[in-house]
Amino acid sequence: MQEYKKIVISKDQIVPIAEKMRKEGRLLVMIHGFINEEGLMDVSWDYAVDPVVESYHVIGETSFPSIESIYDVAAAWPERELNEIFALEFEGLDTSKRLFLPEDMLETQGKGQIMVMPLSELREKNEYKGGGLR
Amino acid sequence: MSYIVPIGPYHPALEEPVHAKLYTEGEVIKDAEVFVGYNHRGIEKLATERNAIQTLVLVERVCGICSHSHAFTYAMCVEELNGIEVPKRGQYLRVITAELERLHSHLLWLGIACHIIGHDSMFMLIWDEREIVMDMLEKLSGNRVNYAMVTIGGARRDVDDDLRRELLDMCDKLQKPLDRMVELALNDKTVAMRTKGVGLLPTADAIRLGAVGPHARASGVNVDVRRDSPYSSYNDFEFDIPVVDSCDVFARVVVRALECYESIKILRQALENLPDTPINLGTKLQKIQPGQTVKRHEAPRGMLSHMVVGNGSFNNHRVSIHVPSYKNTPTVPFMLKNNTVADAGLIIASIDPCFSCLDR
Repeated sequence: MQEYKKIVISKDQIVPIAEKMRKEGRLLVMIHGFINEEGLMDVSWDYAVDPVVESYHVIGETSFPSIESIYDVAAAWPERELNEIFALEFEGLDTSKRLFLPEDMLETQGKGQIMVMPLSELREKNEYKGGGLR
Repeated sequence: MSYIVPIGPYHPALEEPVHAKLYTEGEVIKDAEVFVGYNHRGIEKLATERNAIQTLVLVERVCGICSHSHAFTYAMCVEELNGIEVPKRGQYLRVITAELERLHSHLLWLGIACHIIGHDSMFMLIWDEREIVMDMLEKLSGNRVNYAMVTIGGARRDVDDDLRRELLDMCDKLQKPLDRMVELALNDKTVAMRTKGVGLLPTADAIRLGAVGPHARASGVNVDVRRDSPYSSYNDFEFDIPVVDSCDVFARVVVRALECYESIKILRQALENLPDTPINLGTKLQKIQPGQTVKRHEAPRGMLSHMVVGNGSFNNHRVSIHVPSYKNTPTVPFMLKNNTVADAGLIIASIDPCFSCLDR
């Protein structure tokens, strides 16, 4: 049956683990991120070691090495997504283009605010005040 | 002469908005880029302000075709966090809906592929067959889309003996047109000429780029979440996983056509051995216990993963949804290279893309 195994690692272990997994031919399920109860960033690299999902967590960091050179686009897309919604930095990742959010998101809402700000505040900030193009 | 040819966001060959830029040299594509995000609805954000039952309704709206897969996977996550054991009959009913959904999704894609090829009579034949599956889904759940069959702790609607027999009859009814469709797909000249050798994705590249589902299986990668890491009651059923290694669009047609047979096989086994237990554990709203979990499900298009974080309140702390198209769309630029512009629509469609899933 499916299982979820949480393993906490430090930042400099990300690349060696990715290299090891790539050599074994494991699929990178996803790079997940969320802000935990203490307000710290919790980013996890999840690999499918069937039938278990091995999840390597780095807690309390906001910049990471990119594993794009190891996992190609399978890692680049999740990294770009996290860069958009949480403003995390990935060294060596091209973030000049937007992946999901609109191009004008930077001016209207600021970088990385989408998952951090409560919905009510986001709504208030984006309220239509009349005049101009909507 | 070199030109940049834009395809989309709105294009007759695409059901959903996506933008592709083709850098061409004469008629041959030398490089390509894909842009997504035209359908972003902020579903992950909305899910953080909803409770478990409300989220089930919300995640079903992520996609119109694989809506049950999303509800199924999300429910599995919450059940894992709360330590709920789903009654066997509830599990079987979920599997039945999931396999019916796979059938209708594959038939839908096969129809569209034939339409893009220009073989419209086959398109109509396949979609006529798909109606049988849609009727089954309507009989089972009351809906043609967004089936609402899942609740936390089981399924929402039961199957009585009459309905069970009717569904089994429909499985038999499906067999003949399916045989005809597979025969046509394998032997038809038009299909072969338009699909053989088009949009190649070699096995090594499929693994490197992280392709999943039927798309990976058509490139000779033997992966299937239902077998590799079983969930719900997939352990109870016997089925094969078709793998083809010609790596082109034709292989994708063959894999999806053969998978229809496997789905019917699972459906028959599930309907014949339906256990006699309650279908769910009641509908009392539960708090989501603190913790984090990831669950995977083999959706019609490949591996679907949901991550749910609970904090002990009714609302989710974080829900993260990643769909098979998220894994398969980045492979499109690699497949487009060295093909002609005329095949671009078909190659983009060959991964069975679902961009409203992808953008969430």
